[in-house]
Amino acid sequence: MWRGYALPGTVWLAAFFAVPFYAVAAIAFGSIDPIFRNARPAWNPLSWSFGTFADVLGEVVNGQLRDVFVRTIVFVLIALVLCLMIGYPIAYHLARLHGRMKSLILLLIVLPFWVSYLMRMLAWVNLLQRDGLVMRITAWFGAEHNWLDGSPTTVILGLVYGYVPFLILPLYATLERLDWRLVDAARDLGASPRQAFWRVTLPMSRTGMAAGLMLVALPMLGDYYTNDILSRSPRTEMIGNQIDFFLNAGTQPQRGAVLVLVLSFVLACLAWWYVRDNARQQVAR
Amino acid sequence: MTRRLSRREFVSRSLVVGGGSIALAHLLSACGGGNESTTQLVIGTPDAPVTLPTVGEPIADGLPLESGTLQIYNYADYLNPETIAAFEAAFGVKVTVSIYDTEEVALSKMRSGSIKPDLVLGLTDSVLARFVAAELLQPLNRGYIGNFENVIAGLRDPYYDLGAQYTIPYVIYGNGIGYRTDRDIDTSVFVGNEGWSALWNPAYAGRLAVLDSYRDTISMALFRAGVFDPNTSDASALSTAVDDLVELATLTNPKIDILSYQEIAGGGRDIALCWSGDMLAGVGYLPEGESPDVLGFWYPEVTPTANDFFSIPRASTKPVLAHAFINYLLDTEVALGNQAYVGYQPALEALTAEALVNAGAIPESLVGALVTPERYSAGKRLVSLAPDVDALWLDGWTRFTTG
Repeated sequence: MWRGYALPGTVWLAAFFAVPFYAVAAIAFGSIDPIFRNARPAWNPLSWSFGTFADVLGEVVNGQLRDVFVRTIVFVLIALVLCLMIGYPIAYHLARLHGRMKSLILLLIVLPFWVSYLMRMLAWVNLLQRDGLVMRITAWFGAEHNWLDGSPTTVILGLVYGYVPFLILPLYATLERLDWRLVDAARDLGASPRQAFWRVTLPMSRTGMAAGLMLVALPMLGDYYTNDILSRSPRTEMIGNQIDFFLNAGTQPQRGAVLVLVLSFVLACLAWWYVRDNARQQVAR
Repeated sequence: MTRRLSRREFVSRSLVVGGGSIALAHLLSACGGGNESTTQLVIGTPDAPVTLPTVGEPIADGLPLESGTLQIYNYADYLNPETIAAFEAAFGVKVTVSIYDTEEVALSKMRSGSIKPDLVLGLTDSVLARFVAAELLQPLNRGYIGNFENVIAGLRDPYYDLGAQYTIPYVIYGNGIGYRTDRDIDTSVFVGNEGWSALWNPAYAGRLAVLDSYRDTISMALFRAGVFDPNTSDASALSTAVDDLVELATLTNPKIDILSYQEIAGGGRDIALCWSGDMLAGVGYLPEGESPDVLGFWYPEVTPTANDFFSIPRASTKPVLAHAFINYLLDTEVALGNQAYVGYQPALEALTAEALVNAGAIPESLVGALVTPERYSAGKRLVSLAPDVDALWLDGWTRFTTG
């Protein structure tokens, strides 16, 4: 009977994950209509052709797409470190707070979600442009910097700004459930506040950090509109931009579908690491 | 605790999953339907004009106007809302506009039937052959389009659609360099095809852009290198042009978008490869009180020049109203009003550079951005590429955009 309860979720996954994913695979291993240049999906796995897949994989491993993949991963890694540096102290203090202030800060963290991501990025364009508020303030301090010159810094900061709340919330949930008596015990046994943090609090919040980093890393790796809006220069091209181009603007949707599969593989590896790490943590407890 | 599967269970479940996959494949295959093309493309070039194959008949003469809503499919910001409102008032109908980003997307969505507009604006001859091959367009009945005589004489019988069976020109434009006249742009280099080299000037790094259009941007690099064929299949010439674009990226870190009409006017960008209409449209995006004289455009002697057009889908449910809308936009006064918002130059004989300046539609500083009959005839046309050639261009574009 218990298995029956899994039916709605199974149907949901089949309808909204498995079928679309199979469609992407059918496009990736299908062909292109020579006249209309649209994808001709190969629905039957027995007729799949792996030529384009091999070509694109070759470009990813040792061709012109390699730099884009490497750049995307570097951007995401830097953004993750910054997210953690910004998000951890906030989540930590939030977990230690009580009363109205806690609710207020939680509300402030959730507040950006009330405005669409696209609108928030467009707002940043206004703030960062030549006569924008940020430029005027920095000019007042005698420092002028063109933030919208297509530099990686702006894109990375955009990613951090856009996704950091997704890291704070699961981290906060973990820290709030943390047994703070263990920290007190560490202090009683002679640990300094710093030692108590590094040897008790941080290890015990590892699950929350992993969940937060996963939640942030997955959308960042496929993100394309942050770069589209804040930069759109060759130096900041991310893998999501290439997928967008091949699927929407170009005439090679098959290549776009292959890139989706390659990116999915990277994401699946991350998800596998997270699940394994989580399982180990539970066993350790 | 999880229970390990026995070998028998594993085999039986695998069979179920495998069988399910095949059933799913058949189901999806049935849903996908037969969209395999067997037709050939008929592509016109200025040297080899074509009469497109006729699919179906134009609508009969003397039909009454349909009522209800006219659904237009168009680029963003490519019709004046006031012009639409005036049409609605004049004909007692409603008009809705759906937006497409690229012609490829428009073709794909119309083929799949996910959008069924009554009228399409903005298509060019680079996709026309495919629209006709897909039997998506209907021949026009010019009996409903009395203002067709207003169209520029050279475009009444265009090479891509002899007899203007399916298309009526909307606007014309040429490729060039848009820039701010109040910034440190060295305009002395704007001579011959060497003028394109301005885009390789590292002094403009971070304030320069090229078009997010692989055909236009690679063509620009070809022209700079003295290859004046924007449809070339010469892999060596393309490779050299892309090498040059990679060098451009290294030197100037350009933006790649189609927003120069806003960005140059707004002051966030100083120089860009753009369409002439971008600078004309830019006038409407200048900050309040700023003079249009800050906008400049270099129109090269030899450059891609094009027009886009109106066309009516075969599936249009309001073909008479669609014809009426085309006729309305071909009225000189209406076109002038529409141009005030769109910026792009209407393809009408009466709207010469002098007429546009006299009407106050174009500031004198931008007269150089207008397409004259001489420029149009000297311009190069971007036509549909064969799939293998297109793949060469796209590979080059990927090499450029990936940095």
